[in-house]
Amino acid sequence: MSAGGNHAIITLDRVSRVYQVGESEVRALDDVSLDVAAGEFAAIMGPSGSGKSTMLNVLGCLDTPTSGRYVLDGEPVEKLTEDQLAEVRQRKIGFIFQSYHLVGRMTAARNVELPLIFAGVDPRARRDRVQAALEAVGLAKRLTHRPDQLSGGERQRVAIARAMVMEPRILLADEPTGNLDTKSGEEIVALLERLNAAGLTLVLVTHDPRVAAHARRVLQMRDGQIVEE
Amino acid sequence: MRRPDLVALAFETITLHRLRTGLTLSAIGIGVTAVLLLTALGDAAKAYVVKEFAGVGTNLVIVVPGKVETSGGMPAFGGTTRDLTLEDCDAVLRQSASVRAVAPFSLGAGAIEYEERSRDVRVIGTTAPFVELRKLTISSGQFLPPGDPRQGDRVVVLGQKVARELFQGENPLGRLVRVAQWRFRVIGVLGPKGTSIGIDYDDLILVPVSVGLKMFNQSGLFRIMVEATSPEAVPAAREQVKAVLIARHDDDEDFTLITQNAMLQTFSAVIDALTAGLAGIAAISLAVAGIGIMNVMLVSVSERTGEVGLLKALGAKRRQILDVFLVEAVMLSSAGAAVGVAFGVTVILIAAGLWPFIPLKPSVGWIALVILLAVVAGVSFGLMPARRAARLDAADALRGRH
Repeated sequence: MSAGGNHAIITLDRVSRVYQVGESEVRALDDVSLDVAAGEFAAIMGPSGSGKSTMLNVLGCLDTPTSGRYVLDGEPVEKLTEDQLAEVRQRKIGFIFQSYHLVGRMTAARNVELPLIFAGVDPRARRDRVQAALEAVGLAKRLTHRPDQLSGGERQRVAIARAMVMEPRILLADEPTGNLDTKSGEEIVALLERLNAAGLTLVLVTHDPRVAAHARRVLQMRDGQIVEE
Repeated sequence: MRRPDLVALAFETITLHRLRTGLTLSAIGIGVTAVLLLTALGDAAKAYVVKEFAGVGTNLVIVVPGKVETSGGMPAFGGTTRDLTLEDCDAVLRQSASVRAVAPFSLGAGAIEYEERSRDVRVIGTTAPFVELRKLTISSGQFLPPGDPRQGDRVVVLGQKVARELFQGENPLGRLVRVAQWRFRVIGVLGPKGTSIGIDYDDLILVPVSVGLKMFNQSGLFRIMVEATSPEAVPAAREQVKAVLIARHDDDEDFTLITQNAMLQTFSAVIDALTAGLAGIAAISLAVAGIGIMNVMLVSVSERTGEVGLLKALGAKRRQILDVFLVEAVMLSSAGAAVGVAFGVTVILIAAGLWPFIPLKPSVGWIALVILLAVVAGVSFGLMPARRAARLDAADALRGRH
């Protein structure tokens, strides 16, 4: 299942995620197995309620499987405690969201600095890393702007800088272009492709076939299962 | 996570909502001010009482005739109260090692007349040591001369007010006055003293004790004032005086000893209890302010659900989220305490300036305690909202669900 001969950075083995809603069970992930190789660019598509978000949450260690095994970068994570999962996220995973999730009262630089602050990085080292991360997304001149002073595309680039500042192995993107116009969306996808080309594993959820077209691998989900590759 | 970062994050947040923060700070500030003002009032009352008693003289033991006690059953035979006499005074002074001075004290009342003016005054009969024992001053002339207390010339020392009213600016020294139909020569005028435990030293006259007893046909003294050699010697002096007088009174303790310390302790205890009560009432407003903090923090957590989710996605641990919100609560409460202390101290200082006779002053102890209380309130009332934030499910919080 793994592509290109690289070792798998993500391995889901018969993973299910079951929610109890009142009397009935909802199988948001139903016995899913999946390998994602290091450096791969995979897109997950599917209608609402197909389990895409749950898949992304499980992959991002924001949610834990009800059953099955999940090995992330050689480390089984399905049994980890909440704080251990937080550490895994901190070291290995970057997140990008449709609504950017920037903290409105903070400048672009401060937003990018947040993961470093919670990781306890020294303030002087932080300055350089924030600067470099914002330069890498082409926002070197927007350091002191607050989100409401930035365009949608710029906001998403700040979010990407923030996701990348801890140098994760994997970038998980949930509809990264969903709130953007076509041109900004294309710029964001181009930026993500550049990061992927530099070796970053990229998994994104999208409704947009044009975005998915950039991925080397497209997974179609329905009713909690991967129905098509 | 580094502490300065925690403080910086909290500071950024609480300075954002100026109105909300301002209102919370005022609530805490008012509570803190209330505690400081009420405790300062209590302390002032205590200081006032202490000052009053200090006027008595810290070394003093006062002997009062009669035993103050509660007893049941039949009164014992021979339970009559013997008079306190001048001989008792002598014996106390001679036989008590820890006693430095003794002054007898008789009390009567009568009209003092000079020319056509007359004034009703208290007449105290005593001896020379009294002036030092009661820390009186002489503004002109002299005090009662030393000598055998059983003899005494018809001389009188006037209180300030008596001299002023009776002589209307004329020099009273050497003048003859009549007191209760007895003729006296004025030999001195007291300096201003004012009222000390119920006796207005400006509005009385002093005569030799033998004369005082005779004038009012008294067989015993009203009080014996005993001065110990030092404040530390008061308990010893008290025991010695007691032993001497019991021996002289046929083994009967038919008198009561009062020390300034005992009185002071009783009053201090009462006032301390009152002050603690006042502080407790004021602390209620602090508790109310604490609930205000809790409310503000709950609103904040609910507004920032998405942010909490994001921080968790970025790798923040539960404890770190808890700390972020807790530090905010504590910063709010300590800033409120600072505002309250500044305001409270200002009000106390202004009041002290306006009414100098009230010994109002800010107390470091109360300030420290109230700051501690405010911080404790911040922690305890901030804990629940902070826990709620820390326990949010990351995936749900990112979607803005609680």
